[in-house]
Amino acid sequence: MKLLLGTLYLLGILVPEELGYDGSLAQHRREVVEETVSQRRGLDAYSYTRYHPMEEIYQWMIQISEKYAEVVTQHFLGMTYETRPMYYLKISQPSNNPKKIIWMDCGIHAREWIAPAFCQWFVKEILQNYKDDSRIKKLLRNLDFYVLPVLNIDGYIYTWTTDRLWRKSRSSHNNGTCFGTDLNRNFNVSWCSIGASRNCQDITFCGTGPVSEPETKAVSSLIESKKDNIVCFLTMHSFGQLILTPYGYTKNKSSNHEELIQVGQKAANALKEKHGTNYRVGSSADILYATSGSSRDWARDIGIPFSYTFELRDNGTYGFVLPEAQIQATCEESMAAILSVLDDVYEKYWGVDSAGKAASSAVMLGLLFSFLSLL
Amino acid sequence: MWGRKGMNEHCDLLFQEHFFPQKSQNCCPGFRLGSFKKCLFSFFFFFLIAVNEWISFAPCGCSNPRASCRGRTTQPEEVGSMPGTELLNSKPRIVNPKKECQVDLVFTTDRYNPEEGEERLGKCSARVFFRNQKPRPAINVTCTRLIEKNKRQQEDYLLYKHMKQLKTPLDVVSIPDSHGHIDPSLRPIWDLAFLGGSYVMWEKTTQFLHYYMAQLSSVNQWKTNDDAIDFDYTVLLHEFSTQEIIPCRIHLVWYPGKPLKVKYHCQELQTPEASGTEEGSAVAPTELNNF
Repeated sequence: MKLLLGTLYLLGILVPEELGYDGSLAQHRREVVEETVSQRRGLDAYSYTRYHPMEEIYQWMIQISEKYAEVVTQHFLGMTYETRPMYYLKISQPSNNPKKIIWMDCGIHAREWIAPAFCQWFVKEILQNYKDDSRIKKLLRNLDFYVLPVLNIDGYIYTWTTDRLWRKSRSSHNNGTCFGTDLNRNFNVSWCSIGASRNCQDITFCGTGPVSEPETKAVSSLIESKKDNIVCFLTMHSFGQLILTPYGYTKNKSSNHEELIQVGQKAANALKEKHGTNYRVGSSADILYATSGSSRDWARDIGIPFSYTFELRDNGTYGFVLPEAQIQATCEESMAAILSVLDDVYEKYWGVDSAGKAASSAVMLGLLFSFLSLL
Repeated sequence: MWGRKGMNEHCDLLFQEHFFPQKSQNCCPGFRLGSFKKCLFSFFFFFLIAVNEWISFAPCGCSNPRASCRGRTTQPEEVGSMPGTELLNSKPRIVNPKKECQVDLVFTTDRYNPEEGEERLGKCSARVFFRNQKPRPAINVTCTRLIEKNKRQQEDYLLYKHMKQLKTPLDVVSIPDSHGHIDPSLRPIWDLAFLGGSYVMWEKTTQFLHYYMAQLSSVNQWKTNDDAIDFDYTVLLHEFSTQEIIPCRIHLVWYPGKPLKVKYHCQELQTPEASGTEEGSAVAPTELNNF
């Protein structure tokens, strides 16, 4: 009965159009249909092997969350200094399963264009394959992905309009004489102790205080509010071809350092298999340089176990200005690395062994309680 | 043999490679490979262009001499964008802890604009010596299996003639462009700019500071009406450990067979830690000698 009514309703809409009724409703409907078609066409025509300005990325996010509405939602994170909205995409397979969160952000440094390109590639790969690819299907059973394609939006736009090699945000200091905070020195972890500058003219300016910047606040607030459920914090940068573990503010190692190195090395191996690219793995203080106030260190110290910085291609030949011709290969190999990390993370919490352990401890607890209740 | 010759007696800049810096002192982040013992400028330039590429490889700081650096093989798809060198091995060692740092390298080279599938040419070994955290490391390099001299001179001259025919690229905004693209017709200009930039970078490199050439940001002058190519331009250097971008104005004059002349001025930042040794200033025209 409902089906019949539905069909009649549809006919009622479509047929008058065919018969040339040019009511405003019919007109509107036609426009909506056309717009949806062109949007879908827009997404079909979206090139993941080119760099996109922020306007196009905003549009892409909307289109992605509409096309894949069954698993994707777009969320407001906060406002940038220049009052632009920050959005992240949440990819989540609806189910009754308990979920843990994987966080990925790109473009905290404005000039590192390959990073936002990778975030978009990552989303595209997950969504185009989650129905057919057993590996991705498995991950989505218990993992939700939170992806922030561009963290430093103001800076990113500035690299398109004014200075391709800008790094910081675009906050104003000293009465408008000095611009930008290095957002990756602004987090509340050993803030400004080393590898950062108190001088707003410097490229590693740590800000006027820990989490002084709206972008940092926005990310921190969300991560803080969900930290009990976040198992993996991934922040994407370029260049250098490195997988970095905590810490940058000290040479001391995190409690799970061995594990992080092991997982990181496996990821580097998976990456190398794609196109032969060599990545090195190590703590930031060991293989890069000293930094304080980084998002990765902060995430680790609030308890997120798997916290990595990825420095993508290349090794300095083009540096930040990586040719578009290399986007595909870079994204393919980086995808392999990330999936390797995710596999290991999944294995740790929901793998065969861990399921067994969980089950047996549940049984023991059950026995204990039933015993106690008998007393 | 490790000589004590000053750099004045060597060809100043041939090719450069990069280490990744370690966090603290006593590492060898970057260096420039200076001279061949007997190098003629034609050969020098020819190979400078050919091997002028950045390679970075595993950390091998002088603070950890037991760590052997494994070379990184040039990836096939990088060859197009990275004509030049394949690092085979490198060994750092501390000579005097905290004071000096010596790195030994082995690598191969390509000719300028190699043909598809062409075999790699020169096999080189080099010793780079940083003293007391000062810039301009001393470099001793020897190569075998290079193209013979007449052929080199010939090729240099052809390159020179080709450059003379280029239209004045004064409206060039930046090379590469924002998307990393270099127009093939502008490639020789980039290469020549890189040659001059390499010299500047060698002058500034220390155990702790190492540089990349991020962009050719403007061409101020490109004169070829006289015999020489008179090239005045600005590059943006990127220093890795501080992540800073340093604009440098460079003026170079080249005629094949004659020594390259380089003059430059870099916009240095004033930092509290600056020792004063690296303040940018106009340098008198430096001739890269063939000795």
